Amino acid sequence: MGSSNRKKKEKRKDFQKAKLKVGKAKAAAANFTDTSFKSKSINVNQQTLSSEGIDPVEQFKQNLSLAVNAKADTQRRDALAYLTNQLSANPPNNPVGTSGVLTKVLPLMSDGTATVRTQLLKLFRTLPPAEVGPHVEKILMYIRGGLAHLSKDIRNDTLGVLEWLLDVAGDETVSCPGGWLKTLNSVSSILGWNPSVGSANSSQGWTFTSTVTLGTKKGPEVQARQIQVLAKFLQTGFRPEAPVPYSPRAYWDNIYRLPETPNPFAYLNLFGTPRDEDSEMYPDRISRQRVFDTKWRTAISTGMDGAKKEGGIIGRSAAALDRALKSGLGCGVLGQEV
Amino acid sequence: MVKRKVAALEKVEADLVNLQYKIRRDPRSYAQEFYDQWLAYEAQRQIFISSPSTVSSDDTKKFHDLVDLVAHVASLYPDLAAPFPDHLKELLNQHHATLDTELREKVVGSLVLLRRKDVIDSTSLLTTLFPILITTPSKSLRSLLYTKIISDLRESNSKTTNHRLNKTIQTVLHNLVTSDRTSTKGMWATRITRELWRRQIWTDAKPCDVMKEACLSDNEKVVVGGVRFFLGGDKEREEMEDESSDDDVDMKKIKHQGEINKKSKKRQKAYDKAIFKVKKHERKKQAPHPLNFSALHLIHDPQGFAEKLFQKHLQNTKNKFSLDNKLLVLQLVTRLVGLHKLTIISLYSWFVRYLTPKQLNVTSFLASLAQATHNLVPPDVIEPLMVKIANEFVSEASAPEVAAAGINSIREVAIRQPLCMTETLLQDLVLYQRSKDKGVVMAAKGLQSLYREVYPELLQKKYRGKKATMGLRTGEVKQRKFGEEEEGGIEGIELLEKYKEEQKQKRAEERLENGDAEKKDDEDEDDGFNSDEWEIGSTDSESSAGWIDVSDDEADVPAKKRQRRDSDASQAPNLVDAEEAEADRISKLATTSILTPADLLKLQELRREAKVDRVLGKDSKRKKELIDRHIEDGVTADDIELPGQLGKKLTREERIELANAGKPGRDEHKSTKAIRQSKKEAEGKSTTNKEKARKKNFLMTIGKARSKNKRSLTETKKSLKAHISRSKSGGRNRNGM
Repeated sequence: MGSSNRKKKEKRKDFQKAKLKVGKAKAAAANFTDTSFKSKSINVNQQTLSSEGIDPVEQFKQNLSLAVNAKADTQRRDALAYLTNQLSANPPNNPVGTSGVLTKVLPLMSDGTATVRTQLLKLFRTLPPAEVGPHVEKILMYIRGGLAHLSKDIRNDTLGVLEWLLDVAGDETVSCPGGWLKTLNSVSSILGWNPSVGSANSSQGWTFTSTVTLGTKKGPEVQARQIQVLAKFLQTGFRPEAPVPYSPRAYWDNIYRLPETPNPFAYLNLFGTPRDEDSEMYPDRISRQRVFDTKWRTAISTGMDGAKKEGGIIGRSAAALDRALKSGLGCGVLGQEV
Repeated sequence: MVKRKVAALEKVEADLVNLQYKIRRDPRSYAQEFYDQWLAYEAQRQIFISSPSTVSSDDTKKFHDLVDLVAHVASLYPDLAAPFPDHLKELLNQHHATLDTELREKVVGSLVLLRRKDVIDSTSLLTTLFPILITTPSKSLRSLLYTKIISDLRESNSKTTNHRLNKTIQTVLHNLVTSDRTSTKGMWATRITRELWRRQIWTDAKPCDVMKEACLSDNEKVVVGGVRFFLGGDKEREEMEDESSDDDVDMKKIKHQGEINKKSKKRQKAYDKAIFKVKKHERKKQAPHPLNFSALHLIHDPQGFAEKLFQKHLQNTKNKFSLDNKLLVLQLVTRLVGLHKLTIISLYSWFVRYLTPKQLNVTSFLASLAQATHNLVPPDVIEPLMVKIANEFVSEASAPEVAAAGINSIREVAIRQPLCMTETLLQDLVLYQRSKDKGVVMAAKGLQSLYREVYPELLQKKYRGKKATMGLRTGEVKQRKFGEEEEGGIEGIELLEKYKEEQKQKRAEERLENGDAEKKDDEDEDDGFNSDEWEIGSTDSESSAGWIDVSDDEADVPAKKRQRRDSDASQAPNLVDAEEAEADRISKLATTSILTPADLLKLQELRREAKVDRVLGKDSKRKKELIDRHIEDGVTADDIELPGQLGKKLTREERIELANAGKPGRDEHKSTKAIRQSKKEAEGKSTTNKEKARKKNFLMTIGKARSKNKRSLTETKKSLKAHISRSKSGGRNRNGM
């Protein structure tokens, strides 16, 4: 009873005029716009398009931001090409430094347009190798993201980036935190050789997780390339370290000199979040071998055997991988025969 | 030009949605794909965690999409996605302040989704969301979290009450309020508790305890939240219940639609849903009413609570609450005092300061004073207050409204404690019925009629009235002493007794008429209680005639016996005191017999009837008023003010406004019909056939009109006849046939 009365009143309210009261402010209209704000500056939407007479530093920066933010893919590609030109000039013109370029440009690795990605790889190749070293961990994050991307093209292009990284900073790549196991995980996952998927599914019956390449047009080449990259990665990881030449001052340097490498105590992980097994760093060959032996060897060899049987170009690359494995683990310090 | 086909893989953005769909249909086959995405998610998460504040919008977007995907399918791969909930919690806990708004919402939504898919349990979800709700500075996040928390609590209590979860959350809220009494964080505890109380999800004493602690907080906002809960929470709950019972489905309409519309799965589903809803509604109607105690009754240790409230927020001179909030606290304290009959002596002396006509909101203070009075308050504590009110408010010089309010408040207090009045004061106040103002007159007369009933000796003889004078002479009207309680009994038991006697009498008379031969058995001994009595209570009056034939042979003996006793009682002159007789009767029925469920039902019915009788005017006005107002409803300022307005004449403007209150606006000169029609149109209602015909384009009708003109006489006659027969048989559609 009371409720229905109230409801009636509520309905009626829509048709009533607002009352004006003395001494009270008028109620705001439904379409009232608040204009009380103040601004100290005005941003102009359209800005000049001519690049004449612009400071080269400014132009570099503008292109850098264009490469990331431009909507059109051709614009992004052109901007990247400009950056590549500037970096490959002699002497290279890079006002923001390698790290500045990298932080901006890395997300482009999973760009939707193929031309942009190829241009990006070209840009990477012009970067000075010595300056890439400290940023390996970050680059690897993006590489792992690209390797797991839905689009096959992006995955393959990312493999190119990984290859480049192994070329310019191979040791850092395999020894940085997460660089060994996590990357291995991603690369083998593309090949369908990942053991964790099987184990997650094993309780539910049989499963088949290998990538089918027969009959597809570009299939074999792509998979062969993937196996090659994996082989290269493993080779880099198992490469025997060059013995450090004897220097009589090494002992004293170690005690009194400031270390020259960036983040020399990284293995202590003083300020980061605690790492699990996968994201741990494996700084030397022996530890890499050991962890590979316990976790990955069976999975990789099973996949490899299957690939060998497939023959053709895949078989050849699998054989190369086999060689790499044998040489890497064979003369191992573990002291076991492969 | 041929349009270039877009390959599926080029549409990178749409892919995740597609993949999600495929995964959900066949999780086993897509384990590899899921794992890939899981890796991508991990990589994006790493990127994000490494520098949450500087991450690009592109990366944020990617991360957002991946979180969405994983959240939707995580329940299908419990092994692979095991760490996912922990990731989300960590992300929310550490970065909620810096996260992008959309991503933040997605993370919260994903957590709730995981809860719905039973990946995580309610406790862990709520213990994650709650601390963020309290600490976050973002308003949008707070409102999001609040709704999610409430809806999750509702959800987990929907089938059965989840006692463990409720206990956990209530403890969390309690700790929140008690841990830091100066902070505003307690607001959230009050808001959540109040909402859940309103929805009847929490109905026990624990939430009341949380609110009690909130009332004793140091923060004004928290205190007001708690106090408002006690003052209005139960009313809110009732209103909510009314509201939820209102939205019913029009079954007839839906059935009709089902006949007309095309049959489809969707419609079938809607139909089933409607039927389910109606059935549920009916079931709910038939279910016994949940026994909900009001929050004021569930308070543990009301005396201590009221004392603390009073000392902390009212008596304390350092308290800086605004007057409105102080009044709220005062209302709660006095309400508690009145309801639980508590004794806080210092409360009454505290009132003295505020009882002047110049005090802001003085009527609220007066109402609170009335509320705080009950029959166990010592009269000598209230007496000075009465004198003060009389001196300050009631005089020839004061404005009539003020005087009326004063007398009314005195009356309200006196209803609860009649002993608070001295003879001289009362006689003085009663004399105000000779005032010129109608409000004052009514107030004075109200006071007089009150005292005629409760304590007529205080009135002068000429004001006592006939009934009270007679009552005094016979000793019927007796003034109750301080602390004297009305003797306990079952309300309406005498009605039941009377009803039973009548029944018996009726039966006996019928039997006499039947002329039974066994009249002589009257003198037989009987214990007065057997199975027969049991049956009497359960039979209805009209079925009694049929009943006699069945029980004729063995059960007639006691019935007759009782009949004689009754007739004796009715014939004998009533020599004993009425009160004694009443006491006798009560002891007889309630102590010598066991009331059956049927008896109790009848008792209830009789009580209701008696109440209706009273309301319909067999009793005095004041009693009616008292019945209407439940004892637990507090006194409001309106009770004090409004009677003063009684004799006021409205000005012309006010009368016009009152008359126009519910009517449509009349800005321009327009007929009522036009106004109604425009209103109907605005509400989106359809037009009648007549209106449609009137609006029809002239050119569309002219052909028919012309042909009608050219008809022959027979044709015209035929159509006229057809019209008549059609209208007799209910129109073209044969309505009502």
